This record gives sequence, structure tokens and C-alpha cells, in this order.
Amino acid sequence: MNEQLSMRQIVFMYLFISLSPVLRQIPTALAGEAGRSGYLSPFWSIFLILPLVSVILLLMRSFPGLNLYEIMVHLAGKVFAKFIIILYILWIVLFLSAKINIYSLTLQFTLMPKTRSDFFMQIMLILVYYALLRGSKTIFRFSEFSLGPILLLIGILFVCAVSRLRTDYLLPVSTINLPSTIKASKNVIAVGGNIIIALFFADKLGISLTKKQVRKFWFGALAFIIFSFIITIFTFGISGASLTAKLPFPFYITVKSISFFNIFERFEVVVTLICILSDFITICIMFMILMKLIQWLLALKERGFLFLPLAIIIYYLSYFVSSTQFEFDYLYKTVIVNINLIFQYIIPLLLGLICLLKRKYIKKQY
Amino acid sequence: MIYIFGSLLIISFIKQKDVLLGKKRNLVLFLILSVFGIALGVVHMISPYIPSIAYTLEKYLK
Repeated sequence: MNEQLSMRQIVFMYLFISLSPVLRQIPTALAGEAGRSGYLSPFWSIFLILPLVSVILLLMRSFPGLNLYEIMVHLAGKVFAKFIIILYILWIVLFLSAKINIYSLTLQFTLMPKTRSDFFMQIMLILVYYALLRGSKTIFRFSEFSLGPILLLIGILFVCAVSRLRTDYLLPVSTINLPSTIKASKNVIAVGGNIIIALFFADKLGISLTKKQVRKFWFGALAFIIFSFIITIFTFGISGASLTAKLPFPFYITVKSISFFNIFERFEVVVTLICILSDFITICIMFMILMKLIQWLLALKERGFLFLPLAIIIYYLSYFVSSTQFEFDYLYKTVIVNINLIFQYIIPLLLGLICLLKRKYIKKQY
Repeated sequence: MIYIFGSLLIISFIKQKDVLLGKKRNLVLFLILSVFGIALGVVHMISPYIPSIAYTLEKYLK
């Protein structure tokens, strides 16, 4: 199977894996930290997400056809690259454990409260194993084909919900609220930083970046910001910021009150399905990245045999990471968001800075 | 569940024996990861209600 990827697939993958945090965590976090004005926070994230995009493009242009590890080796040497890879492995292990945990908690909260979480986790791991057997191209293709219908569905929901939006839940907003919206924007930034997956798969994008590919990449980042804004305004406008701040999955509750011209209703099941699909793809892609990282670290030729032992570790770690929704919310707010900022922004920005400093030398090489 | 995982590890080992036995590094990595996974499983089996990382952080950071 041809394993080359297109920029379009990477962008669609980025948007697809961002779906579940945008629907589940962002509205709650923004309402909790910035109150009624929280829906303005996605706009502040532009000031960090767009520079990150330019850094990623700089790295990809300076080192065409190379992946993150190879770029790090060229920029700072093998020892530094391996050290950073170890840190990335730890981050992905934590990320995956938390993701599997919240996936099972979501299913328990929404559709099957009496079913034990281990059942959901086992099913997910079996599905991930099956998906990984098919290769990365299949997973990217799946997100490419599914994203369009999902966004269309969310668009229809938004149209149905316009009449239910309450302006008194959204306004007034004054300049006093701006500092809190800036501070809360880190929750959007921590999800928007998922765009660094492009660096892990940069070696599959081909030798040179065309203008069209670059445009698609910028479009992906902007689409994420607009999407976060729409979902937040939609949730705040219907449920109100105070209720949103207290709910574990506010978008689900918001959609419960929507009907399509009083003919169709109960769209919340569809929202759960969207989240589960997004979680599934996120777990697949993160497993793939985790196995790639171990392969880079130990210079392995094969990586297929790593899945089962890693799956066992992730499965049991998800019990040790958090066991209830409250614990997960605390972990997400205090640990995951901040760690995401380090691995998605600080390390790539540091690499970008080294790349700028060594630019002359790099240009001579390529 | 730990018994199922154990059996799956043995099946996986048999299926991928050429890759694992072909290179020492592959075998060592597979064994280390498997032992770590099984050890976590044993801890979970012995005390399933062990305080989670989030709970511990919440308790000591507050």
C-alpha cells in the first residue's frame, strides 16, 4: 500500500482529532475560567496557533522530506533528539491513557451508565488494533471521508439552534472580561496545538511543499479556531455559561434541547457518536506516533510487535490516571493542558528558533 | 483480563518470533514492555481501588 500522505489528509486528521476536545472540554473550561465572555477566547488563540503553524512550515521547508526526529538530529544532534523523543513518549503515554479514560467516561455519562468502563476500553483497543493493521493511510482516509458529513451535521444542528440562542447569555461583554478570556484561551491553544502531528508525518508529505499545501495548512488552523468559536457560542448561547461550567459534556446537554422543525430530535446520540469516532481516530494516531517514537529512539526496523505490550500498559495506566469524571476534569485542567503547551508549542518553537539561527548552514546543505 | 493479555502476549510472541528472535533489541524491548504491562495489571488486580494520579495530585497540590 502506498503510504504517502497529502497535506489535505493531515489537515483533516488535525480537525478530526480536535472534534472531541472542542465539543467536550473547551466549552466547560472556557465557561469556568472566563464566564459569559469565554466564547471570545478562541480568537486570542490565533496569536499562538498561527505562529506555531509558521514554525512548523519553516521546519518542513528547511528540512524537506524529513520527520520530527530527523529534523531534531540535524538541528541539535542525536543526544538532544533522543532526549526529546523520550519526553514525547512519556507525554503520548499520558495523553493516550487520559484519552481512553475520558472516552469510556463519555460513553458511561451519555449512553450506557450501567456498563463497566473496562468493556469500552477493551472494545476500543480491539478496534484500534484492527485499524492499525490496515496502515496509516486507512486511518487518514477515514478521517478525510468522515469529517465532511460530520461538519455538515454540526452545521445543520447550528441552523436548527439559531432560534434558541439567547443573547442575554452572551452579552454584555466588556473590556474588564478581556484578561480572563486571554487566560482561558490556553484551553483552546492546548487543543489547537495538535497541528504538530504534521511534523511526525512530515516525511510522508513528499520532498517539497507547494503553495497549495501551505494554504491548506493555514486553512486547517483557521478552521479549527472558527470551529471552536462556533461550538462555544452555540453552547453558551443555549445552556448559559454558568450551567456550561458545571457540566462534564455541555454540548451534549445543549443538543438535547434542539429539534429539527419539531420533526426530528434527540440528536445527542449523534454528538456522542462524533466524539467516539474522534476519540477512536485520536487513539489510533497517537498509538501510531508512540510506536514511531519508540522506533526512532531505538533505531528499530519493525514496530508492529510493540502494539500489544503498549496497549496493555495504556489500558492499565488509564485506571491509574483517573477513575472518575471529577478526577479527570482536575487532571485535564492542571496537568494535561499545561503539558500540551510544552510539547505542542515550547519544543517546536525552540526548534524553530534553532532553525532560524542555523539557517545559513542549513541552506548550504539542502 | 490479565490472563487474556498474558495469553495474547504469548500468541503475539509466537506469531512474531522471527522479528523478535531476529534481533536481540526487539526481544528485550518486547519483554520489558510486556513485563511492565503485566506488572501494572497485577497491581490493578491486587488493589483495584488504589488512589489515581489525579486524586493524589488533587490531594497534595491543594
